[in-house]
Amino acid sequence: MDFSLSDEARMLRDLCRGFADRAIRPHAAKWDRECYFPVELFREMGELSLMGLLVPVEYGGTGVGTVAFAAAMEELAAADNSTAACWNAHLTIGSLPILHFGTEEQKRRWLVPLAQGEKLGSCAFTEPGAGSDLSGIETRALRTKEGWKLRGRKIFITNAGTEMSLGPLVLARTGENRFGFFVVPRGTPGFGIGPKAEKLGWRSMDTRELIFDDCLLPADHLLGESDVESIRQATETLAVGRISVAALSLGLARACLDASLAYALERRQFGVPIASFQAIRSKLADMATRLEMARLITMKAAWLHDRDEPYRQEAAMAKLAASELAVDASREAVQIHGGYGYMEGEFPVARYYRDAKVLEIGEGTSEILRVVIAKGLGC
Amino acid sequence: MDIVVCIKQVQDPDIPPRDFKVDEEKMMVVPPANVPPVISTFDENAIEAAIQLKEAKGGKITVVTMGGDKAKDSLKKCLAMGCDEAVLLQDPAFDGSDAFGVARALAAAVRKIGKFDILMCGRLSSDWSYGTTPLALAEALNLPSVTQLQKIEARDGGLRCERALEDGVEVVDVSTPCLLTVSNEMNNPRLPSVKGILTASRKQIPLWKAADLGVDAGSVGAGAATLELTKLYKPVFTGQCEFITGETLEEAAENLALRLRADKII
Repeated sequence: MDFSLSDEARMLRDLCRGFADRAIRPHAAKWDRECYFPVELFREMGELSLMGLLVPVEYGGTGVGTVAFAAAMEELAAADNSTAACWNAHLTIGSLPILHFGTEEQKRRWLVPLAQGEKLGSCAFTEPGAGSDLSGIETRALRTKEGWKLRGRKIFITNAGTEMSLGPLVLARTGENRFGFFVVPRGTPGFGIGPKAEKLGWRSMDTRELIFDDCLLPADHLLGESDVESIRQATETLAVGRISVAALSLGLARACLDASLAYALERRQFGVPIASFQAIRSKLADMATRLEMARLITMKAAWLHDRDEPYRQEAAMAKLAASELAVDASREAVQIHGGYGYMEGEFPVARYYRDAKVLEIGEGTSEILRVVIAKGLGC
Repeated sequence: MDIVVCIKQVQDPDIPPRDFKVDEEKMMVVPPANVPPVISTFDENAIEAAIQLKEAKGGKITVVTMGGDKAKDSLKKCLAMGCDEAVLLQDPAFDGSDAFGVARALAAAVRKIGKFDILMCGRLSSDWSYGTTPLALAEALNLPSVTQLQKIEARDGGLRCERALEDGVEVVDVSTPCLLTVSNEMNNPRLPSVKGILTASRKQIPLWKAADLGVDAGSVGAGAATLELTKLYKPVFTGQCEFITGETLEEAAENLALRLRADKII
């Protein structure tokens, strides 16, 4: 077995590490405190051709593959989970539905500017009454003479309200059991964007409620030639999102370990560094061990995906293991930092603690993932 | 304008001091685990300067380094940033070369590359900081050299260079071909783009051995070294805190001044 990354993946990872050190890490606490979405950062990422990692070269992307993408995601996520999560939403659910379902003309029109970093991608699944169970979505798209009329509400939507946003890809019901993705450009009459939501963590992320009040769309704004028969058909190509949230989680867990290790080696109590105490060492050893395990399953899922082999089970396991590790590691990081850990500002671990929780919720809750995994076992 | 840049791969100078370890017995720096080596800081400034000149005036940039297999990573990074070709000088005969030995091998490689207008280096390396190799290289190739530059401007028939000195700036006109060493005042090196990485990863990096360069193995390596390392150790810094007192603030200040003078600090 060869666990090494390709030259290309390693260079991409190093680029992301260097970029995160220079352009993200120094500002992350401020962006979090001020709930500021750094649009200039994403424009710079476009210049570095970082905005189309999963999109093939012919549509303006770089098509680096899932393993390289996961390695890159971990780097940004270790610097600032919130901006990494915005990047992730753009790269995966904000762009891939157009790649998988769009016509050639739609790809040229919408995917190319996304992959080149001129626009920010966004996707709207969740509704007040539909979270884990997407079949319950009530946003409806009614066929009209000219095209489609969209009516409904979406909540917790990432990247839809920034000056760089293309406008969301909206998953809507087109019939009893039929669904479709609709491109709703910003400024479309009848498309309303709510105020920025306040959140526990991921505070620099632009999160909004979206309202579609008889929003009229031309016929060619439905992705693909026609709507599809099941929600599964609409979302099945997006399980790569689980791999990327696993990578986001790895980044956060690594940041927790790095911060805790540095602190434990410096902080002296009873005349010695606290890293010399067995209780602290155990925490650090557990964090490092679980991090290595979670990274292995995440990379395996990514590797399977790149080889076009079945990967959904591994992706679910990766996301479950990594997100639960992130939450545990952030809790232990605060504990190791003691009172300083609970304070905002001097050390980043309070922010890590707040950012971690959502990783157990988005892209499949831990409970749903266990159901998926058990089903994969034959239950 | 064709440019050749010589770079050195070094251990990452940004590691925490606690990870910097020296094996005093073997007189070697112990590479820290899991920290990949990097391009020496000023060499990266030289690469950026070369790319900016190429963007303004056209031409081709070739990067050369001497080292083991890991040195390829640094060369690939240069290619991803925008350089055109890269060459790795690799031969057991080069092991243990001092600055003059390295310069002899680099000079042979530069001759083999052929025509160029500017040969560039960083002003000194981030590990040993001797700053000797570039000048030895200029000597070996019989080139004029201008060091420690903060600006290079292409003019008819030559270059106008600004040297960043401690007490000011010196402006020097130089004809080409020449050797220039670049300081960090010159620029902020760019990050490679992902597109640059994809292009670089497809490029082959030729390995040149001493024989390929026509270099006599006796003129390089440990045997030819004129510099002898006698001791290598990590200095131990100890801090002492002393309170200077006095009846009044004026007296305390006077006592401080006397104390500093006694220690020959002022």
